[in-house]
Formats: sequence, C-alpha cells, structure tokens
Amino acid sequence: MSQFLDMFLIGISAASIYSLMAISMVLVWRSTRVVNFAQAGMALLSAYIGYELVSRTGNFWIALPLAMILGAAFSAFIEFFLMRTLLKNSSQGPIAAIAPIIATLGLLGVIHAVLGFIWGHGDVQLEAPLSKVGYTVGDTTLFIAPMGLFVIGFVIALLFVVTILFQKTNIGLALRASAYAPEIAQLSGVRVSGIRTLGWAIAGAAGAAAGILQTVNGTGAINPDSLEFSLLLVFGFIAAVIGGLESLPGAVLGALILGLVLAFVQIYISGTLVFIVAFLLLLALLILRPQGFLGSKVGRRA
Amino acid sequence: MLKKHPLITFIIFGFILFLISNRLDELIVYHGATVGIYVIAIASLILLTGYSGQVSLGHGALLAIGGYAAVLARIHYNAPVWLTFVVAVLATAVGGALLGMAAARLSGPYLAGTTLALAIGLPSIANQFSVFGGEQGLSFDIGFPPASLGEDFTQYKWYFWISWSAALIAMYWLRYVLHSRYGRSWRAVRSNDVAAELAGIHVGRNKVLAFTISAGLAGLAGALLGMTISLVSPGVFPLLLSFSLATGAVLAGVTTLGGVMIGAVILVAIPEIALAIANRYGGSETIITNLPGLLVSGLLILTVLLVPNGPVEQMHARRAKHAKSGKASHSPVELTVRVGSKTWSTKK
Amino acid sequence: MIKINRQKLITASAVIAVAALTVTTVPAQAFNPRSKQPGLTATTIKLGITLPMTGIASPGYNKIPGAMKAYFDYVNDNGGVNGRKISLVVKDDKYIPATAVARANELILRDKVFALVGTLGTASTKALTSSTQLSRRGIPSLFVNTGWSGFANKKAYPTTFSILPSYQMEAKVMAKYIKDNYAGKKLALIYQDDDFGRDALAGFKTAGLSFDLAIPYASGSQALPATGAGWISKLRTAAPDVTVLFGVSSATTALLGNAFAAGWVGKTQFILGSVGGDATTIAATNRGLVGLLNGAKGLSFAPAPTDSSDEYIELFQTIYAAAQPKETFDNNVVAGMSNAFLAVQAIHAAGKNLTRKRLINAIETQGSTFANPFLTPLGYSRTSHVGATGYWIGTYGPTGALTADGGKYTVFTTDSGNGAVVESTYKRPAMPAKGLPN
Repeated sequence: MSQFLDMFLIGISAASIYSLMAISMVLVWRSTRVVNFAQAGMALLSAYIGYELVSRTGNFWIALPLAMILGAAFSAFIEFFLMRTLLKNSSQGPIAAIAPIIATLGLLGVIHAVLGFIWGHGDVQLEAPLSKVGYTVGDTTLFIAPMGLFVIGFVIALLFVVTILFQKTNIGLALRASAYAPEIAQLSGVRVSGIRTLGWAIAGAAGAAAGILQTVNGTGAINPDSLEFSLLLVFGFIAAVIGGLESLPGAVLGALILGLVLAFVQIYISGTLVFIVAFLLLLALLILRPQGFLGSKVGRRA
Repeated sequence: MLKKHPLITFIIFGFILFLISNRLDELIVYHGATVGIYVIAIASLILLTGYSGQVSLGHGALLAIGGYAAVLARIHYNAPVWLTFVVAVLATAVGGALLGMAAARLSGPYLAGTTLALAIGLPSIANQFSVFGGEQGLSFDIGFPPASLGEDFTQYKWYFWISWSAALIAMYWLRYVLHSRYGRSWRAVRSNDVAAELAGIHVGRNKVLAFTISAGLAGLAGALLGMTISLVSPGVFPLLLSFSLATGAVLAGVTTLGGVMIGAVILVAIPEIALAIANRYGGSETIITNLPGLLVSGLLILTVLLVPNGPVEQMHARRAKHAKSGKASHSPVELTVRVGSKTWSTKK
Repeated sequence: MIKINRQKLITASAVIAVAALTVTTVPAQAFNPRSKQPGLTATTIKLGITLPMTGIASPGYNKIPGAMKAYFDYVNDNGGVNGRKISLVVKDDKYIPATAVARANELILRDKVFALVGTLGTASTKALTSSTQLSRRGIPSLFVNTGWSGFANKKAYPTTFSILPSYQMEAKVMAKYIKDNYAGKKLALIYQDDDFGRDALAGFKTAGLSFDLAIPYASGSQALPATGAGWISKLRTAAPDVTVLFGVSSATTALLGNAFAAGWVGKTQFILGSVGGDATTIAATNRGLVGLLNGAKGLSFAPAPTDSSDEYIELFQTIYAAAQPKETFDNNVVAGMSNAFLAVQAIHAAGKNLTRKRLINAIETQGSTFANPFLTPLGYSRTSHVGATGYWIGTYGPTGALTADGGKYTVFTTDSGNGAVVESTYKRPAMPAKGLPN
C-alpha cells in the first residue's frame, strides 16, 4: 500500500514537470500550428538566464518572473523574425508542412551552439529555493516536498490563468480565432500576426518556467548537452499529444497519464522498459484515438 | 543527357567516380564513401517528405533496422556481403510498411513527434535483447577487398566502391519509380490529396507504399553505414543522425532528388570547413567544438528562410520565370566551336 | 543532334576540368604499412586521442586530455623521451561511434599520428579499431579507456592494449568483499541494463553472489524525474542492509538525491562501482550531494587523488596545479596522467630506434614491469594485453574523498574468467626520479 502511494506521488511529481513543457507546446501549436521542437532548447536557455539572474540578484523569486519575461520576449522575437518570414516564404508545397519543424530544429542547434560558446560544456548549478526533503507523515517520508508542491501549484495556477485568458478575455478570443480561422479573424478586424506573436510570448514564458523549475526540482545542474532536456522535449510532446495537442487541460491530463504509467512501470514491472512503454503509449493512442483524450475530432490530419 | 539516356549517364558518372577514387588520398575516399551513404539516406527522406508529404525525424531508427538486419544475417547465416544488403532492404521495408500504416493516419507534427519518439525508443530495444549485442553493439566485418584488386587496394576504397555502387543503383531505380505510375500518384497526392482521391488514387495506400520504399532505402543506407564503421550499435544511430539527415534533406531541397548530392556533400564537408575556420582563428577549443553545430544549424535556418525548396528547385523556378518573361536567355542556343581549322556546331 | 544550352555547357566543362585536375595532379596514394613511421621524427613523436569532449557522456572525461598534456609537457620540458618531445592531438567524438571512426581517420590519415592513446568508450573504440584497421596498419592503440574485457584478446586486437580492470573483475572483487563483510545480510543491486551492467551481473554470478532485490534501469532513464524516486521506493520497502550501484555518475546522483529527499539516509550501506563513484563528477552536478557519499564504500585501482603521501599523486598534483590551475584534481585527472605516464614508459622502453612494432613489442615483453601509479599488477605479456587486474576498497569521507580501509591499500586481484579473487602481494615498482623516464 505504501508503495502504491509512493508510485502515485512520484507519478504526479514527474507529471508536473512534463505538463509545464506540454503546456508551452500546446500554446505554440494553438497560436501558429507549429510544434516547436526548439522548446526544450529555449527552456534550457531560460534555465541559464535564470542561473545568471539568481547569481546577480541573489533571489530566486525575483529571478523566476524576470526569466519568464525574458523567455517571453525571446519567444516573441523568434516568432516575429523567424516564423513570420518562414510562413511568408514557404507556405506552399511539401515544404510548408516541414519548414516550421526544420526551422525549429535549426533553432535548437543554434541555441545549443551559443550555450556552448557562452557557458562552455561543463555543468552550472541552480540551487533550489525550497526544501526538496519530503513531508513526513508518522514515520514515513512522502515523495512530495515543498519544492515539488510548489511546482504542482505553479502548474495549476498557470493552467488557471491561461484558461481564463483564453476563455474570458478579448485577447483570448482573438487568440482562439486566429488559430482556428485566421482569414475570418483577419476580416473581423483581429490583427492576426500580432496575436500570434502574443501566443508565442505566452508559450515562451511558460517554457522558461518549465526550464527553471525542472532544473531546481531535479539535480540542479544544467549543461548544454543536458540529457534531461532532450527527454523533457520528447516526454512533453508525448504528454501534449495524449491530451490532444489542442487543449491545455488535455496537456496536463496527458502528462498525468504519462507520469503515472511510467511510475507504475518503474515500480511494478521493470525500469528497463520506460522508453519503450512511452513510445508504445504514444503509438497506441495515435492509432486508437487520434484526436487525443480532450482533442477535437478534426485536428489530427490537418 | 540525363533525360535521354539515364542509364548511360549513371554508368559514366560511376566510372568517373571510380577513376577519381584511384587518385584521391584515403581520407577523402573515406569521406566519399560516407557521402554515398548520405546520398541514399537523404534520397530516402526526400522521397518520403517531398513526394508523399510525410515527415520523419527518426530516420536514424530505420537505418538502425537495416544495420542490425544486415549484421545479423552476416553473423548468424554467414551471408555474403551483397545478400546482407538485400536482407537489410527487405527487413527495413517490412518494418517501414508497418510503421507506414500507422504513419498514414498521422500528419505533420504528429508524425514528426512519433518518429522522434521512435528514434529514442528503439535503442533501448537493442539493449534489452542480448542478440543485438547491447550498447557495445555487433561487429560488422565484410572482410578484406578481393585480392584480385591488387595489394594497394585499400579497405576504404573497397567501402567507397560498394557504397557508391549501391547509391548509383538505388538512385537509378528510384528515378525509375518516380517516373512510373506510383511517382505520378505521389505527386498528385502531395499537391492536392482531395483531388487525388477524387481521381481514384488511394491516398492511404500510396503513403504506405512511399513509406515502405523510403524505409527500404534507409535500411540500405544503415547497412552501408554499419559496414564503413565496422559496427552496428545503438550509438551508431543517435538522434543526432536523424537530425543530420533531415538537415541534409532540406539543404538538398525536399521537392527534388536533383540536389541530393549537395545535401550529402555539405553534411560531410561542414565539419571540415568549421575546423579550417577554427584553426585559422587560433584553433580555440570552444570554437572547434561549437562551430560545426552553429554552421549547420545556421545554414539550415537560412535555407528554410531563403530557399525553402532547396537550391536546385530555386534555380529551376528562376529559369522558368526568365523563360516566361520572354527573354529567351535560357532556351537552347546554337553553339559553334572552332579550334584551328576544325569546326563543331550544334546546328543541324 | 544534342542541343546544349550555355549554362549546362559551362557546368559540364567546369566539372570535367576539376575532375581532370584532380586525376592528374594528385599522386596515387599507396597503402603500405611497411613504409616509414608516420608521426615520428628524430625529435618529435605525435600521439592522438579521440573521446567525448562534449555531449552527454563528456562531463568528467573531458578533463582527461588536459591531464595527459600536462604530463607530456612536463616530460617535454625535461628533455622528452629518448630525445623526442611528445605532442597530443585531441579530437571530440561526442561518444558516437560513427564520429569516433571519422575522428580516428583524421588522426591517422591527416594528422598522421604515430599511435593512438587512451580512446574512450567501448562501442567507439571497437568501431574505430576495426574500421580504420589499426592492426593491419600496425598502429598501436595504447591503453584504451574501457572496461570491456574483449580488448584484452590479443588475437582479435593485436595492437590494442587495455588499461582498466574489466567490469567482471570489479564485480568479483565486490562480491568477495560483500561475502567477507556482510555475510547473511540482505542485499540489493541497482544496475544499468545494458552490457556494462550485465558484465557486472556475470561477475557476481561467477562469484556466486545473489541479490535479494535487483533493480535494472534503461541507460538514460536515470535523467527522468521519476526514476531515482522509484528506486528509493523499492529499496525502502525491501530495506536491504547493503545496496550496490553499478551505474554511471548520473545514476549515482539520482540515487543520492532521491535518498536524501525521501529522508532515507543512513539506512543502508551503499557500495558504488568505480564508474559512477567519482566524487568530483558528482560534485559538478550537485555539490550538496557529496556529503551524502559519506560512509559509502567505493573501489579504485589507482591511489586516491587526495592521498598526497603517495609519491605519484604528489608529483601529479604538482604538475597538474601548474598546468591547469583552475581545475580540480580528481580521479579523471589521475586516470589521464597515469595513461600518459604509462605511454611515456612504453615509448622509453621501445628505445631510440622507435618503430610501431618495437613499441608494441616493448609493452608485451616489459609491460608488466613498467613503473606506474597503479596499485594492482599489470597483466601485459606476449599472450595478454590486460592492464590493471584488481581493485582496492575504501570508504568515502564527508568531502567525497575515498580513503583505503584500515589505513592501507588492500588490493584484490583476479581475472575476467573463473579465476579466484586473491589478496595481491604485488609491490609497485618505485617511481623513477622526478617521475621522468630514464
């Protein structure tokens, strides 16, 4: 029984990390129909920015929002200068489907090289602002610590804020309209291109938070060659797809499913199988329920 | 020439290559063998993306299937070298057909993400079953070149001959396929799948077929890669390889096979160029380690931004534009060459 | 008649011109291993190494070339080896076998090195050895940094010499230690589920040691947020007295970090394999975790990097501090400098009329008597290319320093097969004056 509780808490903690990345992928997808494969690279860059800010300001709680703002600015910059030109130049033919994917991969490579130039290939460390020692109930220590709890709370808050923004505000309406029907939105007076940049900016802020929180909640070390961030990209994407790639609650649900399934596999079956299980989960879902758990019916083949 | 006598062109091209290989130093011959492999792998990707509109970020996984199939055939059944390549093509084509059935239901980013996950998931399978030799992999030994080729015939020249023979045959065959009924239907599906469907083309089946053929070629490339480095292991087919191939395909231009050499040569040449630049500027370690990545990625972004359809297609497009604008600068000209008293003319 | 357009004609003539130029000006390269000795002059000798300087596997290992250069430069400044100064060409292969082959080709064909030294990683070394045909070319590959026992097979790898004890040897030594000290206790094992971990499993099996709980993990999965926590959950439930970790450094970090987070400290006796047990590599990831190493057991075959009473370590510390003042002196540095030291001994032993053949011959005939920092016998002989052959066991202190139990190095030696594990009576040859070849 206690092992089952462990599994549950471990799964949720991992899910909170996956869902941060999944949320930012969904945000980018919703605003521009692009899966940003550079998301993990941008998150890693933000983690380095966070590291610099923490060492300058000495305060994590100032550094985190600052890094999120910078992440948003960088993301908007990429949308404005890279993705817009891209959409203009290659909107037709087979290249249209893959140009954004390739461009974001290129961006990933550039970020990686630049990180190597500036910070070198060794580790730098970002200390956790909160304790990572689990809460104790009776004589057992639970697999949930103040730091992990903060990450979970952050994900819920982020989900809440972004949902409000999308559902209740005019900006949100414009965001949704320009994603689903850009021409009609344009005709109704929505400045579609500006709104798209905004979508990327929000995703950039979420991605920056993902990079920093994943780092402090994990080993605390960052490195341009970080394996953690490569895996974060893949697992975040899988989570987003499970949820339907359209829906923010879906992304969180997807992360939860992925986190719990992998924790189950790890504890009750074999740690050797995690990668294969993650891949099979993705494949099975895409074949059985292509629109994801909370996705709309049509999106998948668009 | 290519259009009229493709077979003769290919044979002449091959002959020139083999002549050249006799004269180049060994390192260039080794790089040349790698270029041959990339030609096949990039062509496989272009076929998939440019001709059937599907994306693969995990092509390295398909190369891995081919590599393992070839080496297992070699080790367990002592198959002759040429047969191991056939086995690689067939095994990967079967794998590709299965994957293609799943892939036909997906598009764009979904397929990209799935293939990406495959590229990460597959190596752990190799680690799981001891028949694949784990992380240290299986040695792929094709033996020494035949003694009849002479004592000075190096192993890398042998690899070069094999990989370029394979590349030329594959490209010739691919050219044939693309000019067949299938090639035409792929292009129809690519430009408008609804219209194609209405015209009686089975879109799904076509995509699966494209995936199968693409996988077969990737398998061949994988077996050749395993051969040149004498080893097949998970590390031989890293995610980086998949990304490099996607890069090569874009640099080559995904809509046409014409630029495939450009992509392959750039992939091999960039690290060399980066090294030359780095050495010129003092050879600092930071520059040497980071410059190749920066150059490749930067070039990739520039290509997608400026010549999204690749340099070759861009040239065609520009030429077509010129022709349309009435200035017949690129229409065939009549040419007369006079050397001494002799005169050659293209006039009839 | 064929119509030619101008552009095509220009392109075609350019291609033909280039081809003609290439064919006529570049001389035919003859492949002839019997010709002169590349990378060697009367006053210089050029060596090459390829290893992961960047990429996932690079942390820690990327200090090795700097350490090797530090020692080579020290030797060069004191007159070189038999009048020759050593230079080292370093290439980065990112731990990818195909890249390692390309880099090795550059070393051999462009840089024309005399010998390779210290290449790292089993798959990379295996690939480059066969693809570049080291044995057919007669190029010595000195002291490869991998624990795969296959390289010791002289028939398959006639010019390759290993330096590390194999993982099987390590597991067998560990098994003896556990049997001697923790008989009847509850045992757990965490191992990387690939040939690295399975080599160890084979060693434990040979030694007749079985574990009550064995936790395999997929290579790379230690970087997932849930993996380490999952181990602790299982360990906590099973409550073993002794927990062995046979994994890489990042697995050690995941284990210690999550043990700390779960308040599961001091509940089991950790024993770390040598690969994942380097304290400075762990410290580079998270300084806070080093304290958790306190009391854990570890294995090594070289003297501890902190043991300044050892004449080699003292010398190495001095040399390294002068060459790389900003870097920490750790196991990777000791490994690199020992590698360089042994290479210098071998080159020295091969004599003034150095050839590749003589170098290999020197190691085979005199290798087991070379001066070297290791505390275990070297296994080099006419029939064997095995390097170090055993381990000593020690305890980590609060700063992560591993010190030998009982105040002295008790070395156990064995082989990769069914041979027994015995306490070694080996006396290390004294260090030559100032650590220079003479």
